Amino acid sequence: MALLEIKNLHARIGDTDILHGINLTINRGEVHAIMGPNGSGKSTLSYVLSGRNGYEITEGDILLDGESLLEMEADERARAGMFLAFQYPVELPGVGGMAFLRAAVNARLREQGEDEVDQLGFVKLVRAKATELGIKDDMLKRAVNVGFSGGEKKRYEILQMALLNPSIAILDETDSGLDVDALKIVSEGVNSQRGPEIGMVVITHYQRLLSHIVPDFVHILSAGKIIKTGDKSLALDVEENGYTDLMENANVA
Amino acid sequence: MSPDTITLSSVQNRAQERFAETGWPAKKSEAWKYTSLDALASASPQPANDISGAVAMPAGIAGEQCRLVFQGGLFRDDLSDALPAGVQLVMLGEDERALAAIDEIGASDNLVPRLTVAKMTAGISLRVAQGIVVDRPIMLQFVGGAPATASHPVIYIDVGDAAHLAYAEHHETDNGLSAPFIVVRVGAGATLDHIKLQLESATTQHLGLTCLSLGERADVNSMSLSLGGALSRLETHVRLDGEYGELGLSSIYLGKNNQHHDMTTRVAHEVANCNSRQIIRGVLDDKARGVFQGQVRVAPHAQKTDGQQMSRALLLSRDAEADAKPELEIFADDVVCSHGATVGELDETHLFYLRSRGIDEAEARAMLIDAFLIEAVAEIRHQGFADLFSPFLSGWQVPRKG
Repeated sequence: MALLEIKNLHARIGDTDILHGINLTINRGEVHAIMGPNGSGKSTLSYVLSGRNGYEITEGDILLDGESLLEMEADERARAGMFLAFQYPVELPGVGGMAFLRAAVNARLREQGEDEVDQLGFVKLVRAKATELGIKDDMLKRAVNVGFSGGEKKRYEILQMALLNPSIAILDETDSGLDVDALKIVSEGVNSQRGPEIGMVVITHYQRLLSHIVPDFVHILSAGKIIKTGDKSLALDVEENGYTDLMENANVA
Repeated sequence: MSPDTITLSSVQNRAQERFAETGWPAKKSEAWKYTSLDALASASPQPANDISGAVAMPAGIAGEQCRLVFQGGLFRDDLSDALPAGVQLVMLGEDERALAAIDEIGASDNLVPRLTVAKMTAGISLRVAQGIVVDRPIMLQFVGGAPATASHPVIYIDVGDAAHLAYAEHHETDNGLSAPFIVVRVGAGATLDHIKLQLESATTQHLGLTCLSLGERADVNSMSLSLGGALSRLETHVRLDGEYGELGLSSIYLGKNNQHHDMTTRVAHEVANCNSRQIIRGVLDDKARGVFQGQVRVAPHAQKTDGQQMSRALLLSRDAEADAKPELEIFADDVVCSHGATVGELDETHLFYLRSRGIDEAEARAMLIDAFLIEAVAEIRHQGFADLFSPFLSGWQVPRKG
């Protein structure tokens, strides 16, 4: 069975239609890149998949392990294995980082019928994963994302992903705001989590992330539809020729 | 007036005359424009005649403490602990300085000093001798009562020069009206830690006034929680009378159903070089209403005053309402004063971020409400008081329907 199936997905915000029939099947072990110009619907797709309020699905379905997600709230989807790495991770003043991470991990464990982690064991686990991502102890003690640099925020997203062990991870413009070194660390963090059990959707405007996180498939999103699918060489095409040619060809077709 | 003319009955007579003259606040009264006492004035609960018998005692803080119990506004010596060394308790009528201070406050137009002194049955005066560091917190526990009755406790506290005192007020009665009037003089170089817990029954109206005066280099850290009651007003007046005084005066109110919480403060910087800092946080659900009125007055010669005040209210329901009336009256030119008041809702983006991590709505909301309050909670300096205080905040929250 496919891990994630997006079937003829139409979505709108208010009176504005944004997604116009997206079809995409992601199997376990696969990494799919979705590329597209600004305004093509990339972020909307990530929010619709993760269950943010305010988006109306007018047609189509999203299935995770064969089960429709449409009636599920964001937290239910997350506990079912969905993870969204935010383009702009949210600062939560006053919410302690460790308490936040523990609440999230325990919510997922409870859902899986497993015991909650004890505090000491959890701290050790977080420290070990954080060290791999170059996250300092001091950052873990702060409020969630407060006072973090852009790169630190992205690393913190990947830390959450590592702790939550999702079956499907959506990385929304994870490369934005990262310098070359941070991009490398974040990409290594993502790559270390690749494996036969997880599917990934890497949403990006630029090819550069995809030379670090090499996708199995590349899809071009334009005006709310996937207009072309290919392998990693398609991303290089975009890098060289831009989106305009692709979009024009799609219109002609 | 010579001191020997001041007696409990003369002070009380004057209060009765004053209350007869001014009565309950008029609807148009500026000081009471957000808080109506009409229902209270017509119900007019009266002090109970018989105060005796056993009363349920609320939990205190871990470790040693000295409990002083007040039932129906009366001090119950038989239910109270022995006082710590260096602290003396006398009945109010035996303390002329206390009577004079209470009488003086009643001379200005204010409801509680008139009403409560007019109706009180007895009061007490506590004195901490100069230089004494009181070795355990004093817990003033207000208990008992019935819906038709009123309690009017009057308490005078004198913290001697260079002394240290920590006292807590725990108001958990079934009164129709609780109207405590507390006057505290904090001497030069003295330190005071204070918390007030307003945990009255759902039908109680609570009108409390605390008047503090700070001597030179006095240091006061005060936090109030308004959680119970149908209608409450926690009013605090502070005079910074000596240079280099330090005042932390913070509060939290949590409202549900039709509760009405009014937090009113009046801070007067009378002399130079004092700091005052007020952090107020309110959370209102259902049809609850919150009011913050904060006046900071800086006298003409009170240069180098640092007066900060920040009030924030969080509305969890469309029917909840918060009003804020900050007032800065600054007559000195070399001061740093600021105030701010905001009213907002839980941030949808914050909620989504938490929920996208698998945290359900009720827990996500609870985490964000805790986060909203934490800045105020962090103001509590006394660790035992902080430990006593915090469970009421988490206990207030209940899971909400999705």
